[in-house]
Amino acid sequence: MSTDTDTTVIARTVVRVVVPVILLTAVALLLQGHNLPGGGFIAGVLTVTAFALVYIVFGREFLQRELLHVDDDGFLGGSIGEYGRTFTFGLALAASSGLAAIVVGELFAGGRYEFITQGVWFVYHVPVYHEIEIPTALFFDLGVYFVVVGALLTILAVVGRE
Amino acid sequence: MTDLVVAPLLVALFTAIATLPLRSAQRVQQAVSVFGGVLYLVAVAALVRAVRVDADGYLVYELSNWEAPFGITLVADDLSVLMLGLAAVVSLAALVFSVRGIPEVGQRISYHPLYHLMVVGITGSFLTADVFNLFVWFEVMLMSSYVLVVFYSGPDETRAALHYAFLNLLGSAVMLLAIGGLYATTGTLNMADMAEYLATVPASQTTPVLGLSALLFAVFALKAGIVPFQFWVPDAYRAAPAPVAAMLAGVVKKVGVYAIVRLLFTVFSVAALPPGLFGENATFLAFYGPVLLVMAIGSVVVGGLGAVGREDLDGLLAYSSIGQVGFIVLPLAVAASAVPGAGAEIPREGLVTLGITAALVYSVNHGLAKSLLFFVSGALSRTLGTVRFDALGGVSERNPTLAGSFFVGALALIGIPPLSGFFGKLLVFDVGAQAGSTVVLAVALAGAILTIAYFTLAWSRGFWGPPSDAVAGASVDRSFVLVAAVLAVSIVVLGVGFGPLYDLSYAGAQAATETQGYVDAVLGGSQ
Repeated sequence: MSTDTDTTVIARTVVRVVVPVILLTAVALLLQGHNLPGGGFIAGVLTVTAFALVYIVFGREFLQRELLHVDDDGFLGGSIGEYGRTFTFGLALAASSGLAAIVVGELFAGGRYEFITQGVWFVYHVPVYHEIEIPTALFFDLGVYFVVVGALLTILAVVGRE
Repeated sequence: MTDLVVAPLLVALFTAIATLPLRSAQRVQQAVSVFGGVLYLVAVAALVRAVRVDADGYLVYELSNWEAPFGITLVADDLSVLMLGLAAVVSLAALVFSVRGIPEVGQRISYHPLYHLMVVGITGSFLTADVFNLFVWFEVMLMSSYVLVVFYSGPDETRAALHYAFLNLLGSAVMLLAIGGLYATTGTLNMADMAEYLATVPASQTTPVLGLSALLFAVFALKAGIVPFQFWVPDAYRAAPAPVAAMLAGVVKKVGVYAIVRLLFTVFSVAALPPGLFGENATFLAFYGPVLLVMAIGSVVVGGLGAVGREDLDGLLAYSSIGQVGFIVLPLAVAASAVPGAGAEIPREGLVTLGITAALVYSVNHGLAKSLLFFVSGALSRTLGTVRFDALGGVSERNPTLAGSFFVGALALIGIPPLSGFFGKLLVFDVGAQAGSTVVLAVALAGAILTIAYFTLAWSRGFWGPPSDAVAGASVDRSFVLVAAVLAVSIVVLGVGFGPLYDLSYAGAQAATETQGYVDAVLGGSQ
């Protein structure tokens, strides 16, 4: 049975197709962000865009219960607490990735690496890709990604509840 | 050892992160937060020691291992560490005060992480040697302070925070514009590199730089709350919770003062003024001298007169801090005009250093005393629910320690020996006398009289006499009294043993004027 407030079949079908594409694009942007357009921030925003689409078309209940497995109750508990932990983790990851340079420098390089010094590994002979570049900046980007996702989902949850 | 430069920054950053997931365990969160404040003080003390004793005045840290001027450089010199020391002391006191001074719900939600992120921004602003990075640290500091100002989120607070946020966003936009312009005209963002370049530019081509530096200066003046950019100060300070108001008045304002000193005296002091403004061979400082003087006079008068007419303690303190910043800018104005080649005045190297020293001593004294006064006001407002003078009265009888601390803070701002404020005032007058400027002396005198007037009013209406009904029935939390008393004692100690503070301020003033030393340290360190 459908009512006026329900979303159309078109919207639901489109979202079903588009959301995976958006998420894949987000991952691609995250991975190439250290030296091409992209990065943790934009990847995070895109990810939340995907969630927002699901939210608009299928409703908040569906997003939180079925997809993210979080309840919403209490001010700091439930979904908002969960999102808060996400951005706390992201912040800690981003900051630690900077600190790691000092620690690694102290341990292996006689204290020569300053805060947020970056490095890069190249992995060769990978099938299809042949060569993969793993920069330490990726950890920072990943941290930013979690901060953005956590913060935007918090906003979505708080504003959506009102 | 150079890792020490970044240590205070990291301590504050990781404390902020550590307090975030502890929001459900309130006692633990408070303990971690205060412990972070102690650790910050230790880190700053170690840095002060490293700069003053072990290094020859400069510690340079190239973030991310990128060489200056291409990467972002942090520099700890005497000027930076003096300001950091002030920040560390006031910040720890404010944290201890916050544990009981901020409502529990507020602390749970966001207070501690925001507070430490504000400290991160302050620390970065004092350390960075990169103009754009300075903008970023300003933003870090402001983002947190927006939320902290609106913390109680009543109608008044929201209005005040809206003004505060709007003005500072406008300021940030202007600052970004000025920095973009400076990058376009000088080709660099590194302060040392910019100074080195500006020294080589002929006077006929510095006009755009002068205009852009003036834009930048206006933004710093907005942060410092100097007339004519003072209008946001009273509302924001009244709206902010007491420990935040103490930080805003005691430290965040000084970030503006620091930026003025750093940019004008270290960077723009070497740029030749376009001919026709102040004669031949003048530098930018010749232009800023009179500007600073007018702004200082305005601040002293507006702040002083405004404070006299206030009906509540917070308002009085807010206006007072406008007036007191005038006292900080006054010797800076003299110093700027006394730089060789400044034209009208007789150029005197010694007076430049003395002027900046006076400003720095006064900054430290004002930072400590004004935060102390905001703590007392916060203790009263948390206990009584109001700081209107008609509800106060007789605090000295009910709680002599708290009232005594207020008395010490007020006397320090008035400038009574042997408190640190006495030397601050003395140096300001000394600078005026040595410059032979009756205007400076007259303004300083008028300001001093106004200071006496409004603190006498505050004392007699709020603290003297028989206790009012509200005061008689109230008992102030011990932690508030402790924080106020410790700060009061530290003001007395700093005044009695004034030598170290003077030495550090003098060294800071020399560091501010030693452009060549700064350039060598920043750009030479990379080779």
